[in-house]
Amino acid sequence: MNWRAELKELRLREGLSQEMGGADKVKRQHDSGRLTVHERINKLVDTGSFHETGAIAGSAIYDEHNELASFTPSNCVFGRACIDGRPIVVVGDDFTVRGGSADASIYEKPLMAEQMAAKFRLPIVRIIEGSGGGGSVKTIETKGRANLPGGVSTSLGFHYTTANIAAVPVVGLGLGSVAGLGAARLAASHYSVMTKSSAVFVAGPPVVARVGQSLSKQELGGWEIQTRSGAVDHAVDTEEEAFACARRFLSYLPSSVHELPPKLASDDEPERRDEGLMHAIPKDRRKVYKVRPIIEAVVDRGSFFEMGTMFGRSIVTGLARLDGRAVAVMASDPYFYGGSWTATACQKLVRFVDLAETFHLPVVYLMDCPGFLIGLEAERAATIRHGVRAMAAINQTTVPWCTVIIRNCFGVAGAAHQPAGRLALRYAWLSGYWGSLPLEGGIEAAYRAEIDAAPDPVAKLSEIEQRLNKLRSPFRTAEAFWVEEIIDPRETRPLICEFARLSDKLITPVPSAFPMRP
Amino acid sequence: MTDVPVLSELNAVVLKIEVALGDRVREGDTLIVLESMKMEIPVAAPGDGTVTAILVKERQVVEEGQKLAALGTAEIGDVQHDQPMTP
Repeated sequence: MNWRAELKELRLREGLSQEMGGADKVKRQHDSGRLTVHERINKLVDTGSFHETGAIAGSAIYDEHNELASFTPSNCVFGRACIDGRPIVVVGDDFTVRGGSADASIYEKPLMAEQMAAKFRLPIVRIIEGSGGGGSVKTIETKGRANLPGGVSTSLGFHYTTANIAAVPVVGLGLGSVAGLGAARLAASHYSVMTKSSAVFVAGPPVVARVGQSLSKQELGGWEIQTRSGAVDHAVDTEEEAFACARRFLSYLPSSVHELPPKLASDDEPERRDEGLMHAIPKDRRKVYKVRPIIEAVVDRGSFFEMGTMFGRSIVTGLARLDGRAVAVMASDPYFYGGSWTATACQKLVRFVDLAETFHLPVVYLMDCPGFLIGLEAERAATIRHGVRAMAAINQTTVPWCTVIIRNCFGVAGAAHQPAGRLALRYAWLSGYWGSLPLEGGIEAAYRAEIDAAPDPVAKLSEIEQRLNKLRSPFRTAEAFWVEEIIDPRETRPLICEFARLSDKLITPVPSAFPMRP
Repeated sequence: MTDVPVLSELNAVVLKIEVALGDRVREGDTLIVLESMKMEIPVAAPGDGTVTAILVKERQVVEEGQKLAALGTAEIGDVQHDQPMTP
């Protein structure tokens, strides 16, 4: 006697689950340029590392002898796997089974994926297509009653959506049409990517048509809409690129808040001094410069991984390595409002700084901030409230912080260049230029009487401007020790690499005092 | 060859128009200079091509997403992110 017959049935059922929604549905998925959920998982993770949980869960039909006649797996596939040899949880929607909708999912499966990530302290990657396990109107008929959102026994999923963001790295990949609960699961992540052929929305075109907007999927929730709105961080051409982004993002982070970010050996000399930095900043203050090459010049070669490029664009945010250590890098982009803090840039900054605090990443800020964006539109966007919120986020950090002032530092937004009330490292480039407020417009306000009384007000204005400009040399500020150091910009990399090494002693695998929010 | 719109990435004032209708331009060439927060912000050609439309005037206020010009071009690159550090 042995268990061969039972083993045969197990293998049969496992085999049936691999067929997903059937050959026709799989073909339809492929014909539209999309991979199946199993193909996606296999391309995302280390070869052969996926171990599925609940593979044979689904709905079966039995014949008159009670023998298995046919089987359709649940449209939620999840389990453990490895990325770069490190364990993760992966959970994916199978669109070939009833479009990924709730009537073919098993509520406990996506829930257990989230629980597994939380309890085993593992990063989770959500591969989302369809409504992400959300219901459709049809569910009312199949269940015979209407679901109460967040009602008895259905709110646990949302508990983990909130809890995991404060505990483990969460990556969302939107591959296809992503709506409702699916969109929520995508957005409730530390980093989200969609393919350019995908669309993400709270409600799709047919529902939106009922409120009077006739739009295609792409017009409503295509990548240009969702990356510029900040709902999704990044868009790529192919699903393979999306998987590469997920793997790269996770490479900088610890597996949970209870660990430290992995340190890698670096083959880039920490003492490397890039000559280009000497002429990176134009002498004409009205001229802009490209900030990304400056970031590339100071971090470990090839290590800069930008996140949220299309949103809040006056601040560039991304992960990088300094002498092999993972750090969070922020830099101003003068191409967008001269690097001013806009309401959206402030929202981006809050989320990014919270990510750094959550996962124990030291922060390096290459700042060139002429202040908050000004003008009527900026006031309407509540720039000042988003601004003080960004300042509060910076002030609430405890991770090591280093600011390099590469040009402007003005106003309240300028003041928020390092956490208030604790020691951070700060360096100013030779091009540093600062003040409580800019001279332009500031002189007219402060010297009104003197200018009005002058026989030639224009000449008087220019005379005052010259007078004040003489006093604003950064060396005079350093003379009073109002700024600690003015540096040759070529010294930046050696100094921030030293900062990263010093940070080794300061970062501890202790969860942040406050849980971050999506 | 396709006609590619050149959009403003921000709310700004048109400071200078550096090209004329029919000009041949190379990817990365400055087409228009915008002014915002007292800074001069160049709008670069997204690819090699010919200027087929100029839709704004100097001193005109423009909004984020507004079409500034059009370029008849064969290939489009990512100018904002690909250029080297320049003096």
